[in-house]
Amino acid sequence: MIKLQNVSKIYRTKTIETVALNNINLEIAEGEFLSVMGPSGCGKSTMLNIMGLIDEPSEGSISIGPNTIKDYNGKPIAKFRNENLGFIFQSFHLINDLSVIDNVELPLLYRSGINGKERRAMAEEALTKVGLKNRMKHFPGQLSGGQKQRVAIARAIVGKPSIILADEPTGNLDSVMGNEIMDILLDLNQNDKTTIIMVTHDETMARKTNRLVRLFDGSQVS
Amino acid sequence: MIKHIFTLIWNKKKKNFLLFLEIFFAFMIMFAVFAFIISNMRVYYSPLGFDTENIWTASLRIPSSSDSTEVAQMKTLLLQELNTMPEVESASFSGLAFPFSGNTWSTGNNDNGFNFQTCIFFSDEHYAKTAGLDIIEGRWFTEEDKNSKYFPVLITKKFREQCFAGKPVLDSLFILDDDGDFGEFVKIIGVVDHYKYHGEFAEEQLGTFVYTPSTSKDTYVAHIRMKNGVQPDAEEKLNKLIASTTKRADFSIRKLEQRRIQSSQSTWTPMIALMSISGFLIINVALGLFGVLWYNISKRRSEIGLRRTVGATRANISFQFITEIIMVTLIGIFVGLFFAAQFPIMKLFDIENINYYYAMLSSAGVILLLVLICAFYPSRQAAMVNPAMVLHED
Repeated sequence: MIKLQNVSKIYRTKTIETVALNNINLEIAEGEFLSVMGPSGCGKSTMLNIMGLIDEPSEGSISIGPNTIKDYNGKPIAKFRNENLGFIFQSFHLINDLSVIDNVELPLLYRSGINGKERRAMAEEALTKVGLKNRMKHFPGQLSGGQKQRVAIARAIVGKPSIILADEPTGNLDSVMGNEIMDILLDLNQNDKTTIIMVTHDETMARKTNRLVRLFDGSQVS
Repeated sequence: MIKHIFTLIWNKKKKNFLLFLEIFFAFMIMFAVFAFIISNMRVYYSPLGFDTENIWTASLRIPSSSDSTEVAQMKTLLLQELNTMPEVESASFSGLAFPFSGNTWSTGNNDNGFNFQTCIFFSDEHYAKTAGLDIIEGRWFTEEDKNSKYFPVLITKKFREQCFAGKPVLDSLFILDDDGDFGEFVKIIGVVDHYKYHGEFAEEQLGTFVYTPSTSKDTYVAHIRMKNGVQPDAEEKLNKLIASTTKRADFSIRKLEQRRIQSSQSTWTPMIALMSISGFLIINVALGLFGVLWYNISKRRSEIGLRRTVGATRANISFQFITEIIMVTLIGIFVGLFFAAQFPIMKLFDIENINYYYAMLSSAGVILLLVLICAFYPSRQAAMVNPAMVLHED
């Protein structure tokens, strides 16, 4: 379970103070597929980053499972991210100089106790799941947008995380490809019981999830 | 992780090529400069074998037509007068080939069952004491050697090691000159440790000291060892004494130390110039590397953010960037080493191989150290990248 308690995020400069998130209280159950909607700049991505432990709340606290997060920069949090969280981004964030299989293996490089052969096998399994095993030697530049996002999903699931955080995963794709990606995410949620939190602008996609949370000007409105 | 970094470098080989070239050329230039400097410095730090402080020289320019008896009387008197001067510790005579004179007298043959080429130093019975030679075997010449059946000689240690290794040399005979200038055989009566008389930067040659009595016409360069702390007017006093004794004015007194400094200058100047050039080169390479690394990191911010997001620690990021640049550097150095190794293999220059090996090690070490220093700060900056921020920059 993910629990956000009175979470606020305020960006301060010398002259201006911007409230990105304002007193968010949210609980996400294990195995839930939650979508987050709201206009641009309402704090959706900030909330996702805080849940992904790559950004720190200005106020409030976040708990994932039994752990209440205190240190956001240390080695234990990097290990926690690596073992429990998977990330999918709108702009894929694949490393263009690495092949598809090397991109998928990336999270496993930072996990101890897995040798090269095991890494390769796990990456192949993840690519099989997203239907891209035949493209594993290709480079990102040789793939379509939908294929790139499937590689990104394979990278997110290769370490078998219990939570996937997806930031507008269908935002850069046409509706056909967007539906394909959504089907993969639904499959992960239903069959592998992976908790998914998805930020989206697409009402149709959001309706396919278990629950919808709306944000407006940093506050939760529904 | 190392394999992953190597894969990344290999996949970016076109992007890394210029950096590789920079490292390769920097290595080759540094290797050439270091080989030159190391070979010179190793010779420089090898012992001279004689003293230069407080040793003054005066060439008396005695014409060959001079009467031998008169010359002998004049030289005997001069030595007596010099030895009575309170400022003088000892005095002697040598031939024209003496330290830093630029003169050479050499001979060689293969009549002894081995081939050799040696420099000849005509020296009197007082020269070893005056010059401060270190005799490691046997003895120096004495006046009794005038009556010796064979020409008495001392050879240098280098000569001994090269031609008489493992054999007793004292009292042994060998043919020094097949023209018979020194009789059929000469007799070795001692071994001198070192005599690097050509200069501080000149490799020591094989040397043979041939006894030439102080009364001989052939030894007309006076060597005078002055006592420590002589007054500035000592040179004038010495000048007057030599002039009045020899009845000549066409000589000049020069300090051996001055000759040493002057003879070394011709090597120091190009060496300092080369060191300055290589210093600028090192700065240029450092700035280049720093720039390339900085640019790389700014171009790869989203990759850094992604790696941090999927579990890399700050230390992992620093390690990755430093290892990447070290790997490219090592490739450049290995290719450079391949070419550098051709110099000792093919004996391209008359330099001892050990100097090349030292030059290879030092160039590789300096470049690696430089790369580490230049990579440290950009890599640290990379590790500080905020993943949440950079992943939203695209």
